[in-house]
Amino acid sequence: MKILVVDDSATMRRIIINHLKQAGYSDIVEASNGVEALSRMSGIELVLTDWNMPVMDGLSLVKEIRHNPNFSSVPIIMITTEGAKEEVLEALRNGVNDYIVKPFTKQIILEKIEAVVG
Amino acid sequence: MDVRYINPFINSLINTLKMMMDLDAVAATPFVKDNSKTSGDITGVIGFAEKKIMGSVALSFPEKAALMLFEGMTGEATDEINRDVEDCIGEVANIVAGGAKTEMAGQGLSFNISVPSVVVGQNHSIRHKAETPVIVIPFSVKDETFVMEVTMKLTD
Ligand SMILES: [Mg+2]
Repeated sequence: MKILVVDDSATMRRIIINHLKQAGYSDIVEASNGVEALSRMSGIELVLTDWNMPVMDGLSLVKEIRHNPNFSSVPIIMITTEGAKEEVLEALRNGVNDYIVKPFTKQIILEKIEAVVG
Repeated sequence: MDVRYINPFINSLINTLKMMMDLDAVAATPFVKDNSKTSGDITGVIGFAEKKIMGSVALSFPEKAALMLFEGMTGEATDEINRDVEDCIGEVANIVAGGAKTEMAGQGLSFNISVPSVVVGQNHSIRHKAETPVIVIPFSVKDETFVMEVTMKLTD
């Protein structure tokens, strides 16, 4: 499964990718904002995205993906510090499949991926 | 500044270090800051703003403490503050601010947080966002210490 990991923090991408690789996911693409992410969507089967990013944030990215007929059904999990109820609801309304609040553990990430694509 | 606005930051910091790095941070007694200098070699800052709220949070680490956090986060050791460590400290500040934001939203206080900025160098100054007292909360983790500075102003 080809996974796109989107976060403006290189540290956060590294942590998420380490967790994914340890769980056997090896086909991973990175992007540091929404614009970069959109240019790397080809063949992507799961998107893990941050919300707060410069250039294009995660919520705008979700809207773009959902409005693009080529990618509109790709599962998206948001991994973000935005844990307030209103933000979670807004993300879900805009088509996010699941939601993880930072800080997280490896187990939380892998369980959510299983639930979305398993 | 109301202590009710300090506790969400303390809780969030302790929770972040525990979950992301399995480190136990212990808070000491907060005090009011009396100059603009920070104690650390590297500082991550997040500003917050909303119609009625202005403020910022800064996490300032001596080099050794920053390197310990970096290793805890990534599982990789490094012996100097580099771009990766700067990014890591910025993201820790982001997660701590986000956690506090979430707790405060539950109390009916909502605000937006900025993307992190990181300052490196001894004796650097931090410009906080509100013209209100800055509260310093010292923390210890293993043998290292660092501080969190918080200021928040409610306008109306
Ligand atoms: Mg971010």
